[in-house]
Amino acid sequence: MIVIGSESRGSVPNTSPNVRDMAQVSCCQLDEEEFRKCCLQLLQRSEELRDGWSWQQPQGSEDGYLKKTTLRCVSVTSKRSKKNQQDSALLIDSDCRQNQSAHVSAAPEEATDDADDEDVADDADVPACSACESSFLQFEYHVVFSCSYSSPVLYFRAFTLEGRSLTLEEVWSSIHPNFRLHLQENPLNAVSQQEHPLLGQPFFLLHPCRTEEFMKPLLQMAQQHHRSVNYVLSWLSIIGPVVGLHVPLQYFSTVCVKDPASSSNPG
Amino acid sequence: MIMNNDKDVLRDVWFGRIPSCFTLNSDEVTEREAEPYYLMLPRVSYLTLVTDKVKKHFLKAMRTDEVEEMWFEYEGTPLKWHYPIGVLFDLHASASALPWSIIVHFKSFPDRDLLHCPTNSVIEAHFMSSIKEADVLKHKSQVVNDMQKKDHKQLWMGLQNDKFDQFWAMNRKLMEYSTEEGGFRYIPFRIYQTTGDKPFIQKLFRPVSPQGNPHTLCDLLKEMYPAALTNDGEQKRYQVLIHGIEPLLETPLQWLSEHLSHPDNFLHICIVPVPTD
Repeated sequence: MIVIGSESRGSVPNTSPNVRDMAQVSCCQLDEEEFRKCCLQLLQRSEELRDGWSWQQPQGSEDGYLKKTTLRCVSVTSKRSKKNQQDSALLIDSDCRQNQSAHVSAAPEEATDDADDEDVADDADVPACSACESSFLQFEYHVVFSCSYSSPVLYFRAFTLEGRSLTLEEVWSSIHPNFRLHLQENPLNAVSQQEHPLLGQPFFLLHPCRTEEFMKPLLQMAQQHHRSVNYVLSWLSIIGPVVGLHVPLQYFSTVCVKDPASSSNPG
Repeated sequence: MIMNNDKDVLRDVWFGRIPSCFTLNSDEVTEREAEPYYLMLPRVSYLTLVTDKVKKHFLKAMRTDEVEEMWFEYEGTPLKWHYPIGVLFDLHASASALPWSIIVHFKSFPDRDLLHCPTNSVIEAHFMSSIKEADVLKHKSQVVNDMQKKDHKQLWMGLQNDKFDQFWAMNRKLMEYSTEEGGFRYIPFRIYQTTGDKPFIQKLFRPVSPQGNPHTLCDLLKEMYPAALTNDGEQKRYQVLIHGIEPLLETPLQWLSEHLSHPDNFLHICIVPVPTD
């Protein structure tokens, strides 16, 4: 990496005081190569744990991302919208359970096809929820590298089993109240709808502009104790639970000792 | 570092307009015939920010219970409101005759393609998020973070109310850099093309080479999209458009970034096939 020199001490021109420290290199940032290494490690462990992470590479693109699809059972208070009786809005209270072994096809349109009887039957195998007012939602999580922020970004979208996309309001209601209050203080740092940078489709995301802030202490601590850290895994374990994505502890018990040479190469 | 004569460039960019004709999608249920609506669209703004009058006009002809979120289409392509209007036009319609003919929809919102835009605050959040990302690239976000809330508001209000002076009084801070650096840390740019899923190319690129030479538009394309360049003896296949014009490929990227960026502080570059008449 080339760092354009602003290191000449004392004589920084005062035309732009704000950029004085910009060449200072941070230990807490991730580059794309390191991102891929972390993803590779995560995928190897995921294969053993069978929790469904995969590496996706859009056609004709060198860039890729981590993807996982899960069914989440959420309890729901239905709020009939005035305009359209069919389209009841979901107000989601909390997670009742996360089904970790459900591998659902990524294309939710299938659920609305006429020939989807089999799919529905598959879904019926999923353990039923005890709460009476609850429903299954399909969550799709993507971990994409952002070169601007030098950090991973968590994109996600959610569908009902009928294939309807959740609105931003519904997504907010699916976030635990403890997180919600904190996130809503500053909309720019929170959940919003944006275009997926590799797919060009609407996704929700947790804004990455504060990532460095919460990763810094963690990485500095690890450095002090000479412990290696998988940036992506640690980051995901912090940020994932906000939107119902949990990283099992097993990921951390062996991840440092694993031999990184294996088949599923994200590169 | 903006020279006086370059200020005209900023004005020309800001006041760029596209004559447009909005017609109602023929499947919409109307109570009476809806006349087309003509409008000069500002290139640097967003569709959903400048079409209140379009909405009002067509709603007069509609039955209110048939109305859902408004969205726009051009020749079968849903138009992404979160791209600047000029980018949408250059990318999809630069070869077509004026006025730009846009179709207005009030139902079947394509939520697989378009972001929802229920209020102007969504546009504001998107706009500020772009400015912030651009400043991360240019100054490690130090300039935008040093600004106060009212400064951010001034940028947004400048765009929303089409106030060039109000906007640039604040935006010039985002365009500063030390003479020693010779430019920003990285150039915030996006290169759009219409083929493939990937909506645009965005990577890290410095305004100055390691040897200290200014990078040009040509250098950028060579690295990001070599197919856009014409080799000797070849026929030109692509146009490289910024604000509807083809800048000289020898233009320094830093200059382009300071003068031809959109208000969101990104340099939006469209690569489109050379029109065949």
